[in-house]
Amino acid sequence: MTETRITDTSEIRHTDLPPHHTKLVMKGNSAAAVAAKLCRVSLVTAYPITPQTSIIEEITTMIDRGEFDATSVNMESEHSVFAALKGASLVGERVFTATSGQGLLYAHEVLHAIAHMRLPIVACNVGRPSFPWNIWADQTDSISQRDTGWVQFYCESSQEVLDTVIQSYKLAEKLLLPVMVVLDAFYLSHTSENVFLPHQNLVDEFLPPDQRSGNRVDTAQPRAFGGLVGPNTYDDYNKLYWDDVNKVEKVCNKTGSEFGKVFGREYGAVEAVNIHKNTKKVLVTMATITTTVREVLACYPDIGLLKIRLFKPFPKKSVLNALSTAGDDCNIITIDRNFLGDTEGALMQEMKRALFGKTCKVFGVYAGLGGRDVSADTIEKIINLDVDSPHTEEVTWIR
Amino acid sequence: MKMMKPVNEFIIQKENIFSGALSCRGCGWTLLARYVSHVMGENTVYVVPACCFSIIAGPNPMNLMKGTVVHTLFAAAAATATGVRHALDRQGKTDTLVVVLAGDGGTFDIGLQALSGAAARQENIIYICNNNAAYMNTGVQSSTGTPSGAKTTTDPSGKKLPAKNLMGIVDAHHIPYYATASPAYLNDLVSKLEKAKDASGFRFLMIDGPCPPGHKHDPEVSIELTRLAVETRYYPLIESQDGDLIISYLPKENRPVSDYLKPQGRFAHLFGDTDTNGIREIQKQVDDSWQRLLKMQEITSSSVRK
Amino acid sequence: MTELSKMIEIRGHARGGQGMVTAFEMLAKIFSYRFGFEVQAFPFFGVERTGAPIQAYLRISSLPIRVRSYIYHPNMAIVFDEGLMENPALLNGLTPDGILIINTDKPPSDFKGKAHRIVTVPATHISVERKLGSKSLPIVNAAMIGAVLKVLGADIEEAEELIKQEVPAKPEANADAAKAAYHSTSELSDPLFSPHQVNGTAGQASKPSSPMPFWDKPMSANKTGSWRVVAPKYETRQAPCSTNCPAGTDVRRFVDLAAKGKFDEAYQVIYEHNPFPAICGRVCPHFCQHSCNRIYFDGNLNIGAIERFIGDFAKSEPPAEVPATKKEKIAVVGSGPAGLTAALRLRSMGYPVTVYEAMPKAGGMMRSGIPRFRLPENVLDDEIRRIEEQGVNIITGKRVTIAELDGKYSAIITAVGSHVGMGLNLGSHEQVTDGIEFLRELLIHQKSSKIKKGDTVAVIGGGNTAVDVARTALRYGAVPTIFYRRTKQEMPAIAHEVEEALREGVVIEFLTAPVHLEPATSGRLNMAVQMMELGEPDDSGRRRPVPVPGSEKMVPVDHIITAIGQRTDPFVFSNQTVKAHQGRIELDEPQTRTPVFCAGDMAWGGTVVEAIGSGNDVAKETDAFLRGIPWKKEDSTLPVTGYDEINTAWFMPAPGHATPVTIPGNLLNNFDEVAGGLSRETVMDEAQRCLHCGECFNCGNCFNFCPDAAIYIDEENRLRVNYDYCKGCGVCVRECPSSAIHYSE
Repeated sequence: MTETRITDTSEIRHTDLPPHHTKLVMKGNSAAAVAAKLCRVSLVTAYPITPQTSIIEEITTMIDRGEFDATSVNMESEHSVFAALKGASLVGERVFTATSGQGLLYAHEVLHAIAHMRLPIVACNVGRPSFPWNIWADQTDSISQRDTGWVQFYCESSQEVLDTVIQSYKLAEKLLLPVMVVLDAFYLSHTSENVFLPHQNLVDEFLPPDQRSGNRVDTAQPRAFGGLVGPNTYDDYNKLYWDDVNKVEKVCNKTGSEFGKVFGREYGAVEAVNIHKNTKKVLVTMATITTTVREVLACYPDIGLLKIRLFKPFPKKSVLNALSTAGDDCNIITIDRNFLGDTEGALMQEMKRALFGKTCKVFGVYAGLGGRDVSADTIEKIINLDVDSPHTEEVTWIR
Repeated sequence: MKMMKPVNEFIIQKENIFSGALSCRGCGWTLLARYVSHVMGENTVYVVPACCFSIIAGPNPMNLMKGTVVHTLFAAAAATATGVRHALDRQGKTDTLVVVLAGDGGTFDIGLQALSGAAARQENIIYICNNNAAYMNTGVQSSTGTPSGAKTTTDPSGKKLPAKNLMGIVDAHHIPYYATASPAYLNDLVSKLEKAKDASGFRFLMIDGPCPPGHKHDPEVSIELTRLAVETRYYPLIESQDGDLIISYLPKENRPVSDYLKPQGRFAHLFGDTDTNGIREIQKQVDDSWQRLLKMQEITSSSVRK
Repeated sequence: MTELSKMIEIRGHARGGQGMVTAFEMLAKIFSYRFGFEVQAFPFFGVERTGAPIQAYLRISSLPIRVRSYIYHPNMAIVFDEGLMENPALLNGLTPDGILIINTDKPPSDFKGKAHRIVTVPATHISVERKLGSKSLPIVNAAMIGAVLKVLGADIEEAEELIKQEVPAKPEANADAAKAAYHSTSELSDPLFSPHQVNGTAGQASKPSSPMPFWDKPMSANKTGSWRVVAPKYETRQAPCSTNCPAGTDVRRFVDLAAKGKFDEAYQVIYEHNPFPAICGRVCPHFCQHSCNRIYFDGNLNIGAIERFIGDFAKSEPPAEVPATKKEKIAVVGSGPAGLTAALRLRSMGYPVTVYEAMPKAGGMMRSGIPRFRLPENVLDDEIRRIEEQGVNIITGKRVTIAELDGKYSAIITAVGSHVGMGLNLGSHEQVTDGIEFLRELLIHQKSSKIKKGDTVAVIGGGNTAVDVARTALRYGAVPTIFYRRTKQEMPAIAHEVEEALREGVVIEFLTAPVHLEPATSGRLNMAVQMMELGEPDDSGRRRPVPVPGSEKMVPVDHIITAIGQRTDPFVFSNQTVKAHQGRIELDEPQTRTPVFCAGDMAWGGTVVEAIGSGNDVAKETDAFLRGIPWKKEDSTLPVTGYDEINTAWFMPAPGHATPVTIPGNLLNNFDEVAGGLSRETVMDEAQRCLHCGECFNCGNCFNFCPDAAIYIDEENRLRVNYDYCKGCGVCVRECPSSAIHYSE
């Protein structure tokens, strides 16, 4: 199952209010907070950092008001935030937190440990860069954590944040992998927009309580977790981990499809728009830039859009499937809102990897670093890159 | 092996650890684990950051403890314990104890932030530090728990500055119970473990940790040296309940600190022909700390509380 | 060596802390710097614990080394610790022409079948000799380098400097160890060797069955006993109290039983060696308590009081008579402690025994030489009666010679004591009496004394007789003064008796010796005394008194009683002078065909307890003789536990309980016992102060302090070491309060 799914939630919201939903105007951060509540998370650890802070504020407020039955603990650092989640998840609780930028980088060590302890933790990251101080939209923080073993989703709208958090728990608990749900700073975290808020019964139907039994603390059966393992055992368990990583793309698509059946909104690892045999260029995007591309695309019938929703592990099959209808002369342009100190952005690297051996050419642009606005004009510049000219570099920095 | 009739003097009537620990000969860690597990019982989750005990507790697939062990990251013991505690509470398992077993590096240094956070939040956990006064698991590097004069691989001519007053830092968190204990005084150790167990909130115990390879002495004198540490007032046994600080053991005679230092290779250079200043300096530190403790005892016992 | 036809791959097996990793690094440097080879040395990087088995690898090659992995098929295996050979998988993969180098004192032939070429080297021996490491962990790396160089045909001289540079300490000793080992290897070729593969015993995790590994198997699968180099072992050693009892009493054991309130059992333990506990509890000098290690802690145990209580406690229990099963009849001459003890022992073995006593009552010196205020007569009667009740026949009032007894008995034991006082050569005066005679006349014949109230009595001597005489004189209302040549420290009398005498009012003039007598008016004597000072020590180790010139003075006295020593009455040998000694004696002029044995004061000693010991021995010797078996007194060779071996930290200071002494306000004619007994509770308390020197008393301290939970209680309810797990740290050895655990090799 590698079909392309519809994830354009702006489209969906023009339809009627689906059953068991309430329409609300919500920020991305609020959607994340409410999603945690709907998923019946029992423990949230918190440490403030802009622009994530309002997520944990809203959660603690809901808990304080008695609307959300969970324990919230104010930790002393993001390292501790994740370390506490590690302990709580190991005991068998469904846990949640949110962070941003430096916070995520500070927790780096724990992210590895959580993944290798196979703990189904879901955390939101509101992307912002590192240093010098900058608090605006940028995916460098989360993308630099792509090799920690966490599954990563990048969201386009508040609706998608809400829906993705719900799906993430399902996927995490099925495959015993942690999931990071990434929101762009301000463009999503602090942007109020219409959201169809599902009622609790729908979420409960979709997401049963955590069914883990084997790999959790049970004092009646004392044993240790995470001690010293020898080289061969360590290797053997990584092989198992890898086997499950190989299932993520398929499970993601299946979960998105099941979600559609319950909630009326269907999601996939990627979304393809306007890709057909006459498509000359396909813009590859992640997160909020996608929305603006959708708008600009209306004037360009021969330009397609490929939205990457599941970034890690990179959904190669879904990507190839989405591009399978395009002609041989179709060019790919990736838009990277991250800078890893490399000649190519992360998305470009991943696309080249996915398209290895294919005839289409891959161009890349860096755009919108540190929150620099990516407007329709910027998108136009990207669309109008003269990819046929021998003078056009493979990678361009778009301002 | 069949246990026939345990004599009454056996402090432990039923062993809560297995034999076969990967600890060096004469190590304090396993002895401590025996007594901690004896007092805490099987319904306990031990949280262990990187330290010698990470290894001693058992390489896969073995577990030293007849209890649950959650290994965690070096800096994160108190934080992971926090998560475990709240998760257990969510499940109604409020009688399951959460006990951190950490070394001095994970307590004085890299884990101090998490320790402080958990202490300040009054997390309902028991934090036990086996203080062998250096990074022993990595081969004897200085920590801020390493005392002045001690030679380590990163202070090859002896550490210049005294150890951090961790108990002072702990005291500043207004926790219900904290104490120091020594493996040479087992009844005192057990009593303090029991008091820690019976209290609720954040409880802290620091145990003097003998380490023959790190302190450079014969393993057979492990206990004797920790006893000397107490008798020379080098390692005072103190206890604080709800802010009342007391010196829980007063050495009978005022033995010179050199009695404790001399048998240890890490202090051998202080006993050369030329350098006696080093010992005098340490004696002064010990005397000053003792006077300070006496004053603290006086102040806290006379202050109005509750 | 300049060229190798192929790469040599070496695998080393050692214990953590033995220095193997350093040794391999040094070998790599030696072969690189000195011989120009390509080298590669690396450890199996793991958890290195002192004593735990570890591995290291070394490759040496003329050509570039193009492999970076562990060595599975070594050409050479080096075993740093012989104990590691117990792992059958140790030599897995050794090539058919492989070389095995083992650190051992054994010859290579002991390892036949293990490799094609076997080389042994006594590296531990060499290293310990040079003080490299400790006995529990010898650092053998330099010696092993020497052996490897030898086997590889390299020149040791070339390597010497490098070894000195590279070792962390003791460069000369290390270089010397390498050299010694180089010249101490033994070799054996075993052409029949065929390589074999054994499955390893290490716990390999099974294939993953869960997404995350679990740690749920007991750690006890890891047998840390293999780390041990020296083993602690429970070993009962001797206690000074017991070894210092001339009767051989197991003092430690009866004190322990008393501590538990098991007085009947305690009585039996004493009785085994001493049939006079109640008497000895009162009159014995108690060598046991003077050697008690607790003296150095907070004062010795009052073992005398414990013994006295046990002796008095058991009085009501009549002992059963043993049937006389043997034909050989035995005569014992003398019913003092030696004679009666010998008689009882032999009677208990089944011999019919007859004791001949010259005095009207049995007891010897116990009856005729110890005043009643020290030993009440009923106490003496009771313990003698018990011996009679066990079948010993005592004939009193019969003074016999061995010649008279000849032929009627299979053996004669003479134990007639020393009842004749040695007089002072001060001339013959009726006012001068012998002390031992003075006491005998009084105690046996109840003769009224010549001493009257208010008389001045000079007692000469410093032994128990002198003190007893003085105290007796006091009770006749006299004013006694003891004159003694030396000081209080040298007085052979029992110290507390001296104290009691002083408290009662006896005056002691130290460093004073009478030199001559002159008659004075009204029947008195003037005794000239000479002041002394202490000079060089004599044969007994006591400082010899030397006269102070011009210090003579005159002391007027009514009576002089001398108590400067006693000798044996030779009547039993028909007045022939016999050199008596313990055991069988041969007379210069044989008076009997019956074998004659000798015991008690006439042989050696001078105290009741020594006489008892002598009686025990003579009984054993007589029995052996009659059965035709050679006999020799065997002393235990087990070491005696000293105070420095006691872990005093375990013991709580507890003040001792002194024997209560009541000095009557009016001593005149008061012969009541002066010393009292302790109560049952006090005796138990006192006995509980015992340090249990050299014996496990199940305190559990070893169990409590074992870092490895490797102490258990065996089927016989004894604390034992679980060698499956004991790493040999020695904490139990050190912490054992009573020094009952020792290292065994």
